[in-house]
Amino acid sequence: MLKRQEWLDLARKLDWTYSYVQERDVFPEAMSGRPWLEHAHWQGWDEPYRTTFAEYVTGQHEKEGAISAVRDAVGKVADFGRHDRAWLSALKLHGATLPLAEFAAVIGNLRAARFGRDSAWRITAAFGALDELRHTQIPLAVLHELVHWDPQFDWTHRFFHTNEWVAVAARHFVDEMLLGSNPIEFAIATNFVFETGFTNLQFVGLSAVAHAVGDRMFEKMVQSIQTDEARHSQIGGPVLRTLVEHDKAYAQYLVDKWFWRAWLFFAVVTGFAMDYLTPLEERKQSFREFVDEWIVEQFERMIHEYGLERPWYWAEFQKSTRYYHHLLYASAYTYRATVWFDLVLPSPEERAWLAEKYPESWPELAPVWERITERCRAAGPGMEWFTHGVTPVGFCSLCQLVLCGGTPGKNSARVVEKDGRRFVFCSEPCAWIFEREPERYTAHRTIVERILAGEAPANLIELVRDYFGLSEATWGKDAHGGRYPFTVDAPGGSAA
Amino acid sequence: MTPDALVPLYGFVEGDTLGLLVLVRTTDTIARLSFVLQEAAQVRVAHDPQFVVRHRDLRLEPTLTVAAAGLTALDRVDLVREASA
Repeated sequence: MLKRQEWLDLARKLDWTYSYVQERDVFPEAMSGRPWLEHAHWQGWDEPYRTTFAEYVTGQHEKEGAISAVRDAVGKVADFGRHDRAWLSALKLHGATLPLAEFAAVIGNLRAARFGRDSAWRITAAFGALDELRHTQIPLAVLHELVHWDPQFDWTHRFFHTNEWVAVAARHFVDEMLLGSNPIEFAIATNFVFETGFTNLQFVGLSAVAHAVGDRMFEKMVQSIQTDEARHSQIGGPVLRTLVEHDKAYAQYLVDKWFWRAWLFFAVVTGFAMDYLTPLEERKQSFREFVDEWIVEQFERMIHEYGLERPWYWAEFQKSTRYYHHLLYASAYTYRATVWFDLVLPSPEERAWLAEKYPESWPELAPVWERITERCRAAGPGMEWFTHGVTPVGFCSLCQLVLCGGTPGKNSARVVEKDGRRFVFCSEPCAWIFEREPERYTAHRTIVERILAGEAPANLIELVRDYFGLSEATWGKDAHGGRYPFTVDAPGGSAA
Repeated sequence: MTPDALVPLYGFVEGDTLGLLVLVRTTDTIARLSFVLQEAAQVRVAHDPQFVVRHRDLRLEPTLTVAAAGLTALDRVDLVREASA
């Protein structure tokens, strides 16, 4: 009887030489990606997990059992109800932005399972598709339990079906990366950059935070998901190696493009959670420290191993790790009715922590929070609109996020005219990505363009209600109703 | 451009965290534009008489109209403090 290692490739390496059709017809470039290379160039494709179908099914069955047990034990409303309100917002943010994105990843993986250029790649991608279906269903199931208790959790499923501005930005990102990319670009964007480069922010960083705050359900859920991600992310490396060998400039372009796009996504999803929505006493590392350790060092080493350079905007990226998520969070706090989760006003102690963690940038950010706190104190508890913006804001023509690039002293947005139309970009990398592939992006209109075209209301309340699909029950509020010890004279006292 | 037409502009206030969309009229003065933009940002940045309006590295005189200043739809304008202008 053959040993495992002896028979495995008989079941994984299944390609044969085509005689009735051309290889180019079986794997057309439009579907399989460029550069188009004969299979001989891909046949060495391999990854370290080398999982058999039997092992896959057995392993996933065990993982599902473990998650069910944790859910039965600590995944009920009463368990979630014990958590800090700010941490619940971190769950709502994670819950809305990821499960349906994972579902889009099912499709990206299935395309690779058909049009990937080697059979072992296709099999690993088929497992990846099954993984991503699981990653869609687990959070949907776990958080659905909470909908009747807190209607904001309904956005776990609802988010991607709305025109809420974060949803527009998230769809713009995942539609291109997961639904619109051929298997080569998908492998670089999703498997290599997103899953290998960035998801440690969620699966290691946020999982550790969840442990600290006592959220065993979230911790075990993301750890279980991480075991799948670690396996199917391995698709990226061998694809990148072949790509570098045959078209290094294109490989560098894909890495540069998707690193920036992934960075902006995680700055919102993880940056908010780590630096603002985790209770101060449970914070172990700042978002920046985590990015420095897990992204800057590891990703830089990884791309050098493949013979690539750091993205050309590296200095801008590193500076943005000190500013971007802070600018976005302060903007979101003062436009909180436009999102589906509640936000907190950082306390003086939290601001001192942020000042220590961000010595380069916090002196420019502190006055903003002093101003907001002053207005919160003047208004008194429950007066949401006194610390809320009323004017529409600008959105980047590439990432579709609010124009929060640069620093408070110098916003990096740039207006560009092209074919009689004006585009605005939050940063130079966003402008560069757009200009490299304008045919992919010009048809999309920002929310501002939709307002000016009369498709979306300019009045903020109408925009939030009628276009974003939020209601008074679901739109974001101050998580504590503006009742903070530092905004009132004394507990229960009147506003200063 | 029709007389007294609405002009949407991207406005950036020094010290603020994001870019805003403000609507002014072609007949509005730059001083009015400055006020509208400061009102829009006031939750995060206090009004400041030191603010001046800049467009493409040029300081715009407060008495100019939006039309005379050459501002058109979706231009970027900046409110910066006099010292850094």
